[in-house]
Amino acid sequence: MTMQHSIVRPVAAVSAAVLLALAAGCSKPADQSHAGAAPATPARTAPAPQGKTASRLGDLSAFRGIAADVAAIVDKGDLPAARTRIKDLEVSWDSAEAGLKPRAAEDWHVLDKAIDKSLAALRADTPSQPDCKAALGALLKTFDTLEGKA
Amino acid sequence: MNNLPTASSTGWLNKVPEVALSFWIIKIMSTTVGETGADFLAVDAGWGQGMTRAVMAALLAAALFMQLRTRRHTPWIYWLTVVLVSVVGTQITDLLTDGLGVSLYVSTSAFAVTLAAIFFVWYRVERTLSIHDIVTRRRELFYWAAILCTFALGTAAGDLATEALGLGFTWGAVAFGALIGITYTAWRMGGNAVLTFWIGYILTRPFGAALGDLLTQAKTYGGLGMGAMWTSVLFLSVIVMLVALAQIGMNGSSAAQAAE
Repeated sequence: MTMQHSIVRPVAAVSAAVLLALAAGCSKPADQSHAGAAPATPARTAPAPQGKTASRLGDLSAFRGIAADVAAIVDKGDLPAARTRIKDLEVSWDSAEAGLKPRAAEDWHVLDKAIDKSLAALRADTPSQPDCKAALGALLKTFDTLEGKA
Repeated sequence: MNNLPTASSTGWLNKVPEVALSFWIIKIMSTTVGETGADFLAVDAGWGQGMTRAVMAALLAAALFMQLRTRRHTPWIYWLTVVLVSVVGTQITDLLTDGLGVSLYVSTSAFAVTLAAIFFVWYRVERTLSIHDIVTRRRELFYWAAILCTFALGTAAGDLATEALGLGFTWGAVAFGALIGITYTAWRMGGNAVLTFWIGYILTRPFGAALGDLLTQAKTYGGLGMGAMWTSVLFLSVIVMLVALAQIGMNGSSAAQAAE
């Protein structure tokens, strides 16, 4: 059995190396700019702002767009429709976690909490329009704060 | 790998697989599949975290029950249990962090201490921590308790690296991969086999998560943009293939034994 293991373990190492090579090799394109600097300094390496302000988390406009959409629907008083729409925000935000969070974990948590509150308000057993409006107002404000607009 | 050690007189054969290349590939990939699957149920399918947790815990209990009842290593039951342990271990950490607001520093240390305690008791009782002799119910319970704990610890340590060091998945894969390499080298140079195995087991959790993120995340974030679904399909296919091969190998060898 010992003999068997001495054969088998190097293979395990090779596999790790291959996976590693895959990890290193495939991630060049978009990542290099910020990933290269990330471990060296926790400092902000947000892409150079091109005309518009970017948050430390990068471009959040897609998420903010959905939130603004939800807020507009809430303003119209259609809470069920708003609840349906906010799921798009939940799904896209959740799936981008691994990409966004390492850029600025603190900011990510602030926004994550604000999104959670909006979700909770709209998914309450008996959602109230003022509560939803307040939660979404706070969420949009959070976006603006992070993007340095407010 | 298919050559089983000589059958023990108790009627129990070693209940866990030999540690080979396919062992680590399945182990790493099951991390991603487990996490993506649980995420899909909680968010996309709209079950919510509470419901998903309850269902996964129930499934784990069922799989573990089956695993404990088998008299010999059965690949599909074993790996099903590992995938579910992976999910539940991750959920335990997430519950502590997101639900109860426990700091990752605290949970990482607490899991490390718990794991050390499991090993301590295991050693005190059994006088060995060998994973090649999981031949009694009690040893198997120690084995699974340790595995659950390594997944929780691996999740917490990986998250801590993200939060505290801003370690994204690309550098996460490199860093944890390098640590795995060091562990392997240590083992080759005569380091304790049991210790290096368990260190490798812990490290492959965040490594698997980083690798999964690398494939799933959008190109904007430096990933390959395969999406969670296709990554899971790919990984699951590889897992099913490897487990099926192992299962066929087992069935073949038992048929051969029966024929003798």
